[in-house]
Amino acid sequence: MARKLYIFGIGGTGSRVLKSLSMLFASGAKLENGFDTVIPIIIDPDTSNGDLNRTKDILRLYQEIRNQIDQPSDFYSQEIKTINELANNSPVVNPDYFQFKLKNVDQNTFNQYIGFDSLSEDFKNSKDDKNFVRLLYSEKNLKSNLDVGFKGNPNMGSVVLNQFTNSDDFTKFGQTFGDDDAIFIINSIFGGTGAAGFPLLVKNLRGNKNLPRFAKISVAPIGGITYLPYFSLSKQDEINAESFEEKAKIAIDYYNRTIISQNKINTLYFIGNRGNTNHEEYAVGGQDQKNKAHFLELAGALAIFDFCKKINSITQTTQIKEFGIEKNTENISFDDMNIENAKQLSSTITKFKLYTEYLNKGLPKALNTARWTKSNIKLVNLSRQSSLDKNYFNSAEYKTQIQPFNNYFDEWLREMKENKPAFSPFEEISADNALEIVKGQIPKGNKSFKSIDIENCILTDDVSIRSKEKKHTTLIKMFGKSTEKVLSKHNLIIR
Amino acid sequence: MNRIFAALYENNWFGIYDQNYPLIFDTLYDNGGYVKFGVSFILIPFICWLLFYRAWKYPYGNLLHWLVWLAITIVVVFSTTYGIANMEILASSNQALNNAISNSSTGYAGYSASLPLKYALFNGSLTLVIGFIYSLILKQYSKIQIHLPF
Repeated sequence: MARKLYIFGIGGTGSRVLKSLSMLFASGAKLENGFDTVIPIIIDPDTSNGDLNRTKDILRLYQEIRNQIDQPSDFYSQEIKTINELANNSPVVNPDYFQFKLKNVDQNTFNQYIGFDSLSEDFKNSKDDKNFVRLLYSEKNLKSNLDVGFKGNPNMGSVVLNQFTNSDDFTKFGQTFGDDDAIFIINSIFGGTGAAGFPLLVKNLRGNKNLPRFAKISVAPIGGITYLPYFSLSKQDEINAESFEEKAKIAIDYYNRTIISQNKINTLYFIGNRGNTNHEEYAVGGQDQKNKAHFLELAGALAIFDFCKKINSITQTTQIKEFGIEKNTENISFDDMNIENAKQLSSTITKFKLYTEYLNKGLPKALNTARWTKSNIKLVNLSRQSSLDKNYFNSAEYKTQIQPFNNYFDEWLREMKENKPAFSPFEEISADNALEIVKGQIPKGNKSFKSIDIENCILTDDVSIRSKEKKHTTLIKMFGKSTEKVLSKHNLIIR
Repeated sequence: MNRIFAALYENNWFGIYDQNYPLIFDTLYDNGGYVKFGVSFILIPFICWLLFYRAWKYPYGNLLHWLVWLAITIVVVFSTTYGIANMEILASSNQALNNAISNSSTGYAGYSASLPLKYALFNGSLTLVIGFIYSLILKQYSKIQIHLPF
């Protein structure tokens, strides 16, 4: 049964959780219960936002790589598509379609957007009234440029974001929605865009009769994750981190009245962190807003897996779930998590980490020496030559797709390690102690990349990992299998 | 098989065969010495290259490794042949040959003493050739060293 999961990522947190989700998909994690396609939809007026553009680039690379793998079954096995690809049945990869376009936010200030200047000052003789608007919005709000988002002001966001339900993208979403499809919404409660967008979106999904296939969408399973404050800012200015908790409390109260108690959503996950939080570099938005990846964003991505896994047992009454770890620590590793999460992450990101580390540190020794990197072996059948030769590793596809994605993956892990609480399940390794990759695990025997190279040599004869048309098939399938075998053999994966 | 190997070893390459010393060659023929020489240069390289191509799990092997392995194979065959020749000729159970060797006027002593080295060199040369052939055959069945020697 082919099912689609539409994931709305609202605001900067939405983008960052989608980034974590993409990393898990790349590492071989797959949604259960037949959800074979994921459609990420980012809602963010801040088009130049660093987090947003990084996520869009990651999603683009993911798609480009996946399109070059014949029937991916491990790494990159989950299909990701844009609404546009679905609606037009187009194979063209264009990351701009991951984002819903908001009109009139590029150049306008908020007062221009709401037509404030055309309102009357004379409340006695006019139907409209500037002073009433001034009660709701401060002078700063009114003069605020919309192209960097709502700067933590959901009262502005709730007005501007109302328009996306009338957009072509939202119509396409409705048109492509299938009978067994589901929806998941990611937002933060302490900012502007996410806090405002979530109730608006839920309201429209459950109640907008103009939406194509409304009858199905209005009763479709909807899950969501709402982020409570989990980081602070390096300085207080237009966005004041000290107000995060207060805003969160007010928003929760509103969500409780309008969403939870009215059972508008099937499952709502809450996640947050108090106390030992990281201070992000202050930025109101734009390309400067590029927060470091955080463990809570990875945990949020796990909520999506949980939602799909339990989709057949969801109730009409809203279920509230919270994420927790087993041991309260500043340096989280696999052993500090509950066993289910530990298994899920250990079996996926450990493999992908070993794969990226190998390509960075192990490949130079093997390239043009080990059999799996040679395509010109004399007196040997063509079917036993490797396609992963020097030409492949020098190819534009490898350098502009595989390498950048792997760099993003390494950056993602590095940022989570540098954040608070740190997520650092891996050790720094060299080519000689590569198998000491998992913190606290010292395998017996040779610890270098040699065992990966041996497995790759053996796998070179495996016809199931070959494809003439799709260039990355052999690399991705080979490392999916070889890392699995080596890590399992050395008991480095939690089973 | 004895006749086939006898034909191979009773040649004048390396100055091995000399019809003036029939006792030596008759003894080697009768006691299966030629078969032992032949098995040495056929079986030992086969086992060595089987180990190289099937058992040696080293993915970074290059031509130098292959050459070193070939040299080791030759040394093993050389030593084995030398030992067999010593046993079969100088420590033979053939009393007539022993008497001829101990009688300095026959010339057997000097000639027989030179033979183990000559047989070892001859078998070493054969190993060079057969090792290369084995290599080309066995690499087809290898998963890791399939790219060697080239």
